[in-house]
Formats: sequence, C-alpha cells, structure tokens
Amino acid sequence: MSRCYLAWAKDERIREKGADGGFVTATLVSALETGFIDIALVVAKKSVYEGIPVLTSNPEVVKECAGSLHGAPINLTKYVVEYAAEKRIGLPTKPCDARGIIEQAKRRQVNLDNIFMIGLNCGGTLHPLRMREMAADFYGLDPDSVVKEEIKEGKIFLVSKEAGGKEKETAIKIDELEQKGYGRRDACKSCVTKIPTSSDLACGNWGVPKGEEKKTFVEVLTAKGEAILKNAIDSGYVCIEEAPGEGIEMRRKIEAGMQKLAESWKERIDEVNALSRSGRFDFYVDALKNCIHCGACKEVCPVCACEKEAKCLDMNDERDSYAISMYNVLRIFHLMDSCIHCGQCEDVCPVDIPLTLIQRRFSERMQRHLGYTPGMSVDEKPPLYETELRWNAESMMK
Amino acid sequence: MKVISSICPGCSIGCGLYLAESKDGEANKMRVLHRKNAAVNEGKLCKFGTQLHTYYEREALNDTVDGSEVEQKEAIKEAKGRLKGMKPDELAFVALPGTVTNEEIVSLVALASEFGCENISFGLERFFRGIPEEARYIIEKGLPFSEVEKASRIILLFVDPFVHYPLLARRVLKAKKKGAKVVEVSFAKNERGIADETVLVEPVGLERIKEKKDLFEDSLIIGELTPYTDLQFFELMLWLNASTSSRLFLLKPFLNSTGAFLPGGNSKRRKDLFEIIDGIERGEIKALYLLETDLAGAMLGDERVTKTVSKLDLLIEQNAFRTPLSSTADITISSEPFFMKRGTIVNIEGRVLEVGGQSEKGLQITESMGKGRTYEEVHEEVKRKLGLAEISEFELAVKRKERSFEMAEPKVEIEERKGGEGYFLWYKTNPFFWNNGIQSKNFVEISPAAMRKLGLFRGDEVVIVQGERKGRMGFKISELPDYLILSESKMSIKPFEGLIAKVEMRRRDCETTQEKINC
Repeated sequence: MSRCYLAWAKDERIREKGADGGFVTATLVSALETGFIDIALVVAKKSVYEGIPVLTSNPEVVKECAGSLHGAPINLTKYVVEYAAEKRIGLPTKPCDARGIIEQAKRRQVNLDNIFMIGLNCGGTLHPLRMREMAADFYGLDPDSVVKEEIKEGKIFLVSKEAGGKEKETAIKIDELEQKGYGRRDACKSCVTKIPTSSDLACGNWGVPKGEEKKTFVEVLTAKGEAILKNAIDSGYVCIEEAPGEGIEMRRKIEAGMQKLAESWKERIDEVNALSRSGRFDFYVDALKNCIHCGACKEVCPVCACEKEAKCLDMNDERDSYAISMYNVLRIFHLMDSCIHCGQCEDVCPVDIPLTLIQRRFSERMQRHLGYTPGMSVDEKPPLYETELRWNAESMMK
Repeated sequence: MKVISSICPGCSIGCGLYLAESKDGEANKMRVLHRKNAAVNEGKLCKFGTQLHTYYEREALNDTVDGSEVEQKEAIKEAKGRLKGMKPDELAFVALPGTVTNEEIVSLVALASEFGCENISFGLERFFRGIPEEARYIIEKGLPFSEVEKASRIILLFVDPFVHYPLLARRVLKAKKKGAKVVEVSFAKNERGIADETVLVEPVGLERIKEKKDLFEDSLIIGELTPYTDLQFFELMLWLNASTSSRLFLLKPFLNSTGAFLPGGNSKRRKDLFEIIDGIERGEIKALYLLETDLAGAMLGDERVTKTVSKLDLLIEQNAFRTPLSSTADITISSEPFFMKRGTIVNIEGRVLEVGGQSEKGLQITESMGKGRTYEEVHEEVKRKLGLAEISEFELAVKRKERSFEMAEPKVEIEERKGGEGYFLWYKTNPFFWNNGIQSKNFVEISPAAMRKLGLFRGDEVVIVQGERKGRMGFKISELPDYLILSESKMSIKPFEGLIAKVEMRRRDCETTQEKINC
C-alpha cells in the first residue's frame, strides 16, 4: 500500500517559487546537496512558452527552474538515455516521461536503479504557439505580457504583467477553449494516465485541501521514492504530514473525472472512426504519403531505442514508389505494443501527419488485445518484444 | 549538456531549433533538438534540419597565408595589404548569404567600398536589372506563411514544396484544408498529389505558359529564385504577376537572401555571381574575397569553378569550414560556425531573427580590415536600415506592399532547350543541394518508359552523360514524362540556366570483371 502525504519545501523562497509548495524542487535540491544523486534533469524556463532541458549538478540551477511550465511540451526520456544513462539522476516526470523511461529500461538503455522519478500529476500540456494565439485571441492579452500560467479547477489561468508592473490573472474554462480548438495538445486531451504511477513519487495539487495551497500531495510509489523522500526530510529540506482521507478521495475523484473526459476526447478526436473501410484506407494513404522521411518522429520517440540500426530505416528504400513507405509501415507495427501516445512525433512532423491518431488507432487496439499498457511497470515486457520472443523460442528448442 | 537556440541555415525559411552538445562534450559534435516555440516552424524541421549536426561537423578552416599556418591577425593584415595592392575593378567580393548575418553583410559592403569596389555579389544581382523599379520588391521581400495559409488559390510554379522547401508544404496543405485550390505548373506531376490541377509543361515549351495566363488570376504564385534561375523565366514570372491580379512569392535557397538585399543594399552596377566568374575567366577580376561561401560546392559543375578560380592572382577565403577551394586559396581566415555568431538575419517571411550565438569573430575580421566598428555600431546600422526598434521573432518586421507594374511580354526561348534526342535532367533543388557537406539521395527519378527502354531492373544504376561529364546513380520509377529525369542530388552534369540540362542516359554496364561478378 502506498503512502500519501502533504509535503512542502522548508525554504520559503523555494516554497514560493514552486508550483505547489516547492516539494519537487526541494527534493531534487536536497538529493544533489547530499550526494544522493549525481545530477538533476530539470527544465529551465525561458518564458511561459519555452523551456529548455538542463542537466545540472548545481542545486542553485534547480532552484531557478522551480515552478510548472505547461507551455513546454517536452518529453525528457531521450535526454536521460543520451546524457545520463550511467549516472544517478533525479528528475520531475510527467506520466509520459515516466512511461518513456520505463520502456527504455525494458530495452536496456537505462538502469532504473539509478533514476529517481519525481512524478508530476498531469492534466496536459499546451503547444507554445497555440498558447500564444490563445492568449491573444481568447484572453485579449499581449502574449509577451504573460508571465505565469496555471491549470487548476478545470481552468487555464494566465497571469499578465500590466503597465506599471501590476499582475492580472485571467481564467477561462479548459472546455470552452478546447471546443474552439485551443487548450491542450490532442495527445494530452486523450491521455488517460493522469497520475504517474510508474514514477517513484507522484506529486501534484490534486487532493490538497482548500486553504493549504502551498502544499503538495505526494504519493510514495516505490522504495526509491521512499528513499529520496526520506533523504529530503532528513536533510531538512522538506516537511510532511499525513494526507487527509478526504484529500485522497478528492484526488481519486479528480483523476477519474479527467480520465472520463480523456476517453470522451479519444472519440471526438478520432475522425477516422466515422469513415468507411475504404475511406479509412484513403485517410492513411493521404496522410502518410506526405512523409518526407526526415526521421524526426523516430528521433524524438521516447520509446524507440533502435538508433541508426533500425528495421524502419534498413528496410525502407526511398526508391520504392509506394504511397505509404516501409518506414511508416514498420514504425506503426513496431510500436503497436509500445506506443505511449505522448504526441512528440506529431509535434515535430514537418508535414503535420496526424501520427498520434494513426498510431493510437493501431496500437490501442493491440494493447487492449494483449492486455498490456506500456510504460507502467518495468517487469512487464512488451508482448511483441522480439528479443524476448527469440529468447523464448530458443529456450523452447532446448 | 549545453543547449543553445539557433536557426537552420538550410534555406530562406530560417527554422528555429536547439543545438545541444553531445554527451561526451566533444566540441564539434552536437545534437539537434526541436524548438517548439519557434515562430517560423513550431519546432518542425526537414531532413536537412534534423541532420544539421553533420553540417557543423565538417573540418574547420585554419588561418593560412600562402599555404602556411599563421596567427589570425597576420592573415588579416596580409589580406588587407594584398587587397590594397589591387585596383578596385580587379577586386570582387562574394557572399552567398546562407550563413552570413545582416551585420556581416553591412560590414562586407563597407569593406568593399573602402577599396572602392562595386563587384560584390550576394548571388542574385542580375535579376534586378532590366525590370521595372516597382517590381524590385518581389526579389527583395517574401511573404509571411500566414498569407500562404490564407490564400484561396495557389499556383506552384515549378516548385515541389515537399522537396524544394519542405517547411512550405504544411502551409500549402493548411491552405488546402481551408478550401484553397492548388494548381501546379511543372515538368512533372507532384508524386504526393498536392495539386488539385496539374498543368504539365515541356522544357521546350515554357513559352506556352503564357497561353495559360488566366490560370494565374486571383492567385498566390509560389516560385523560386536561385542564382541558376533562367532570366527569361524570371521575366515570365514577373509578367504573369504584372498582367494578372496575382501575388508572386519567390523563395530563395540562401537563409539571409532577404537580409542581403535590404541592409546590404543593391546597386544595378554591381556584378552578378556569374559575371564575376566570367570576369575571372577573362582575367579582368584578379582578386576574390569569399565570405562564408563554398563557391565550388554551391555551384554546379564545380570543377569549372575550381579551374576558373585558379586564374586569380589572389583568393581570400573567410569561412568557418574548409571548402574545395581552401587548398588553392592564397589566404584563409577562420571564422566561427554560424550557430556561434552574434547577429541577425531576415527570413523569407520578413522576420528578423537572432542567430543565437555570442561570437563576433567573423564580423571583427571584416571590420578590422575596414572601418573598425564594434558589433553594436554595425548592429545599429542594420536596425536603422531595416527600420527596427526592437527584434522579436514574433513580429513581421520587414513587410512588403504589393505594387502594380507593367512588364512587356517576354520571350522565353533558349536554343539549347530545343529539339534533339535524349533526356532532360531537372535538378529539384533542396537544402542539401545548396549546402555541401551532407549526403543526399543517391538516385534519380525516371519514367517507366525510360526504364523499359534501357532494360533496367531493380538495383541497376544509370549513367547520365553530358559531353564528357558523367554521373552514376540509382533510379526510382516515377510518374514522369518519358524524356524527364529528376535529381535531388548534385551531379557533375552542368545545367544551363533554369536547372535543367539536356543529357543522354544509359544503363550502367559492369566494366571490370569484379563488377561483372557483383552484377
């Protein structure tokens, strides 16, 4: 049984700067200060629309990066693989970050024992340029005047700096924005993993009682989570108290409500569903024939571990004149059991192929059929994991 | 892990991206990351952009004088001294503005004028001549992509957006989604079927486009302007624009082409790139200063360029990387790679973008030979020339105003194009094509009829012949006219103007015994 707490940073500056009491920042700072981890991976805020991943062993840098940033839809998995696969690393993880890291661990690209995932509950992220348009068109703000954003109580809050330096908060219901095509990215709208249960800790403001806003609701999910939390408490960076029962219930209800909404979005977003069989085929051809083979979707995919030695690259020959290339066909099939539907591929596609939708249509059915949800537990191997299948075949032959 | 914000130098679109140092921290190894807040491209990149790290991994240029390595200040002093020893008419300065900032352009123009030299080329000068003054804006300024998305009728005039300017393709697709009609006028149908209507034109029949003038009414014409654009074809594009209620949007291969002609200015007396090369050939131009320009790499038939350049008394190359001409240059001066530069560029939409680096090395090389100004002073001049108060990628700082002008109906006929047997090779240019250093496609596209005629099978190669020049390539079957060959890669085949060339093609036979076995 996991344990739930309300927790906050002892340092008032961190508590103030952090989104919900600065627990995540304080935990990472304490882990660095005490040598519990070698390095932290955080996102430095350039503006409310832009964040840059930073790998640092400097606690001051981590403090600077405190606070939420919904307008920077980055998946951190590949940064861990590329830059810190052999280090003891701590990082905040949205559910899709954690799921990507778990999948990479299954593919032996990272060692989970060295990775401390401070999970963040996530209602979704926004594309920065859509957010700018949203600020101008719906909030009537100069996008560059927005200094803070927050998603809470079903609304998106934007805080702008007015003439004279005064701050003004404006909130609009997410539903209202999303009906008009703004708000969260499509991948986030239809994501049902709202609490990162595959992280070591799951943190957020869901379940924090009214009047105690500068606290974080923390669920301890693993022994590693317990260890990093203990380190933060013992080193005097973090205070905790038992989470109240009604808080736990409130959090559960929020999660369930958001999952229900996500399920409904899946239906609404899936324009292919309404098409006839031949119409669906035409849809796939029309979308995928535009591929220019830039390779960006593979590059950013948090699940793909193939690097340059990949079937989708090896078996693809641009001299073939198929409308849908082998690259796309192989990627769809290769990811059927493992796609976590994070939408990174679609974000970077230069010809706007609805890759998340296409992949979801294939992989969700397959994952349901196999009874497998990728990225949730390192012990569950992907059912179509070829190396595993080969190992099984070899052991059967003995 | 150091991450810096930068701009792709692959074409005039100017996509934003991040460059991150590699995990081992090696100086010239890096990784490209997607910058989703980039106003130009929303984090999306074409193949060139996603592979940009390899562009920056080329061999760095050293500071040398007459082949010997020297301190940079000595190379600069020697360059200045030797340039001073030449007559103004014997000098030429060339900067194909792919990785040249506005500040460097202003500085180069000032340096050339210090020597009284008017032979300065940014690659497209000749197009300014012989056209009405009111039409200049079409060369100087592009259009924001929002205008492409808003267009109700788009004519793709010999432009395949997926190949020539891949980040343009999504804008055309968006326009289509909103109901725009897309018409392509081309030698071949776009294989992705982006157009609702295709008007096929034969290379010998460009003149006939004029008969289709009505097609261009109320449309946004998207074309391309490169150093190789046929002058007559350029006039045809202008005429179509002038004689219909259309707008003409010309994309260009070099990142800062807009910056080159706005802050850099343009005089009709300036020599064009090809005129400079001809001037060298004739022995009139004796000294050439190349700023961040891989002349042999960007030009087709590069062995001719190398041969021509060897006639110079003085070749000075200022570049971050070695080029095929570096070994023949009298003086080489090393600058910083583009991503390290402090400075600005203007993209085809009119956005003034900061390159993102902090180094002023390249600028200070030209300034130390010229006026000796600081970065701030040159930057202020750029801002003044562009009419800027501040710089934001979200502002369209350089706006264009459509003007009407009159053009006489041009004749479009080039003898070389006419008649004869064989094939036409059409170079479909793309960011790889203009920027040497990254490998591109190793095949050409041919028609099924050509494949049958040559008796080709999968895996075969073709040899494309133009006089003594030969190119060997794999092939792909595409829906093309029988006589057409498409190539996205450079070959030693030299096009005449318009990036098309008359060639012969045959199946590559295995010549040696070993090759026969492999066959």
